[in-house]
Amino acid sequence: MTIEAIARRFALPLIILALLPSSSTGQVTSKPKPVTHTLTIEGMQFGPATLTVKTGDSIVWVNKDMFPHTVTAKDGAFDSRQIEPGKSWTYRADKKGTFAYVCSLHPTMQGQLRVK
Amino acid sequence: MKLSAIVIAGLLLAPATGAWAQGVNDAQIASIVVTANQVDIDAGNLAKKQATNPEVKKFADLMVTDHTGVNKSATALVTKLKVTPEDNPTSQSLKSGGDANLKTLKGLNGAAFDKAYVDHEVTYHQAVLDAIDKTLIPGAKNEELKALLVKVRPAFVSHLEHAKHLQSSLGTK
Repeated sequence: MTIEAIARRFALPLIILALLPSSSTGQVTSKPKPVTHTLTIEGMQFGPATLTVKTGDSIVWVNKDMFPHTVTAKDGAFDSRQIEPGKSWTYRADKKGTFAYVCSLHPTMQGQLRVK
Repeated sequence: MKLSAIVIAGLLLAPATGAWAQGVNDAQIASIVVTANQVDIDAGNLAKKQATNPEVKKFADLMVTDHTGVNKSATALVTKLKVTPEDNPTSQSLKSGGDANLKTLKGLNGAAFDKAYVDHEVTYHQAVLDAIDKTLIPGAKNEELKALLVKVRPAFVSHLEHAKHLQSSLGTK
């Protein structure tokens, strides 16, 4: 067995051991816990229209209007497709940047998501 | 074409500034709301089939979806409140205006149809918006009915802007 093979053999258990304490005790790690932000779509508006989140956070858009809407990034980064009345759509912000989005059905509806 | 649009605008706007101001009850408001939406659903269904411009077709599809959604909510509320929609001069003029529009549109094709449909959508949404502001919201006694009207209003604003945008893009072609 080469040194490399030994290293590979022990590397995985070691990684698991290293991870166990932080995940089982819930100790604070360097990364902040992801947050879920809820936005409403009501009266042909995204509320709030501008939102800043951290990478890894989730955003839930809840459609409180009487007809479908979409959450569609202008650059194609994300697209909810139709969100029916009373339904919601969740997006995990894994990509950093500033994303202008619209409702593709109602072009007058504009929003902006900033992922830091 | 222009003339019929003006006639329809007159039908809708005259009551908004005159007879409507005398007050409408909740049962009449319910009838006006349902009729106003139905008229636009009917025009939208025709335009979905008969329009040529893809943007106009898309708009027609949106009108059918949105106004159907509004009517679903309106009907659910009216049923819950045990209000029976009451026919009145305003809902009647909306209905006859809608019928006249369908009759005109059925005789048109191609770009002429698209233009006539969009022109009427601008007039119609403006007229209904005026009615919402001047008559329906101030007139509604029931709080839930009033809240529904307030909630629906932005859709008419958005549709109006959308229709105006289409109108100007069709005009430049």
